[in-house]
Amino acid sequence: MSRSPLAPVRLDRRQLLKLGLGAGAAGLLPLGSLQASTLSTRARIVILGGGAAGMAMANRLSRRLDGARISLVEPREIHHYQPGWTLVASGVWQPDKTMRPNANFVPAGVDWVRQPAVGIDAEQRRISLADASVLEYDYLVVATGLQLNYHLIDGMSPDLVGTHGIGSVYASIEGATRTRDAIDAWLAKGGGKGLFTAAPTPVKCAGAPIKMTFTTLSRIRDTGRRDAFQLDYLTPGAGMFSQPWINDFLKQRFDDEGINRRHHYRLSAIDPAARQAEFTFVGPASEFTSHHELRQAEFGREGEMTEVVDYDFIHVVPPMSAPDFVRESDLIAHEGPFRGEWLDVDIHTLQHNRYPEVFGIGDVIGAPINKTAASVKAQAPVVEANLLAQMQEQPLPARYNGYTSCPLITDIGKAMLVEFGYDNDMDFLPSFPFIDPRDESWAAWVMKDRMLQPAYYAVLEGQA
Amino acid sequence: MTIQGALTILMYALAPFLWWILGALAVLVLVQLVARLRGYRALHYRCLGTNLASLAVGLSGLWWIPAFTHSKLGYVATAFDWVAMIGAVIGLTIAAWLVLHPLSYLVRAPRYVSLGDAH
Repeated sequence: MSRSPLAPVRLDRRQLLKLGLGAGAAGLLPLGSLQASTLSTRARIVILGGGAAGMAMANRLSRRLDGARISLVEPREIHHYQPGWTLVASGVWQPDKTMRPNANFVPAGVDWVRQPAVGIDAEQRRISLADASVLEYDYLVVATGLQLNYHLIDGMSPDLVGTHGIGSVYASIEGATRTRDAIDAWLAKGGGKGLFTAAPTPVKCAGAPIKMTFTTLSRIRDTGRRDAFQLDYLTPGAGMFSQPWINDFLKQRFDDEGINRRHHYRLSAIDPAARQAEFTFVGPASEFTSHHELRQAEFGREGEMTEVVDYDFIHVVPPMSAPDFVRESDLIAHEGPFRGEWLDVDIHTLQHNRYPEVFGIGDVIGAPINKTAASVKAQAPVVEANLLAQMQEQPLPARYNGYTSCPLITDIGKAMLVEFGYDNDMDFLPSFPFIDPRDESWAAWVMKDRMLQPAYYAVLEGQA
Repeated sequence: MTIQGALTILMYALAPFLWWILGALAVLVLVQLVARLRGYRALHYRCLGTNLASLAVGLSGLWWIPAFTHSKLGYVATAFDWVAMIGAVIGLTIAAWLVLHPLSYLVRAPRYVSLGDAH
């Protein structure tokens, strides 16, 4: 239920505390920072998706636009703090710590449409909903997030997570919890082989497969039987991480820790009952981004180089893409590395390359890096400024520099705060001069464990 | 980041511990208030045991602060890690002293006051 602007004001403990803190600080603020300029408009704005990106945009636009009719299309009642799922799957957090009602974040005056979107007619500017109703828009913000394509791994389904030694932190909060249980069961066996996979597509939180490898290794060391466990990391690409320094660091660290790296292998099938996984050798020259096309090509091919591997535990990372209804719309990229899979936007202005009234934000966009909540933090003010400029037929003033961040857990208890962007070959963009992104530190871990979730909720509220 | 943004983050970070923080503040204020009403002055009252106990409480943070953050002291490694940890230990020591020192005065007050009266 969206909050009505005429509803009586009810303050909970959280809001009271903020009010008190805010009142105390108000005297310190310059007047300008208290009064962001607003734009009067009767435009119909539809925000597709109420995840980190959609919710941040709903809050930002509702503050900046006076009179606009803003609809937020989001069927889920619960908001999931997905960056916390690796900590749940590693046994550090309890699952309920990652969940809050969406109602806490939907701003007053925004029409919360609790229906899944099923189609986009970009020419007619219409969104089709699951209940057969239609939303018309003047401006559209696509913040749908992405789709997990477990079905592109033969024999795999998200329902299998937690059974037959299968884990997958991405599946859902229930999947992350069952992944923790599957790892517990493997550790209880006292030894065996664990396979950790990476996907042949861009993925959200690209560091998660690596974090899961490190946290599981950490737990294995705690058993005192490190030598009884074998860990293999199989990845389709030659690299492990987009940022070059971190990529080299990770390769060296994996080698030092005795984790076998096997490059150019893609998980193509799984036999849960036999605890066997089939990997296809994809070769260094393969293009992986358009995974659906790749799969279609493979079905007609014979004599591929595959290898079947036994496992006691496997961490599955599924191929990912924009949701099907976005892929089937004209908003999808038609050419280039993101064709057929991701939203076609300018990676700096975040405006659609063919429909200027459409903007994209978050995991759904076609961009080389950035499927993280930290990226949303940097993208949201850019989309806000550029959408308002577009509404006033002015040049787009803001540019996204590709900022993304990965608190790369290297052990349970320490991490590296890796922040980087597009420029200078993915050079570091540290937010704090006193935290070196090349250092493993307790402080970076504390930020992951204690501070990034509060910062994330501030992003949802459009405050950070 | 705006001040409001910083306050929002701070609010979310402190919310799970709000009652603990308020409880600790209440104890501190109560002990200080009662002791001062009974003549306690921080700089005039000396108690070596309280100073050592406060130091012990502060140093205990070296064990439980990392544990509280699901980590361990061995991972406190960088210069900034140590600045943060030492800052936390000093803060903990001061907080403990602000409670234990007047508390010690209250426990020993009858003897202390009567000795003072003798002069």
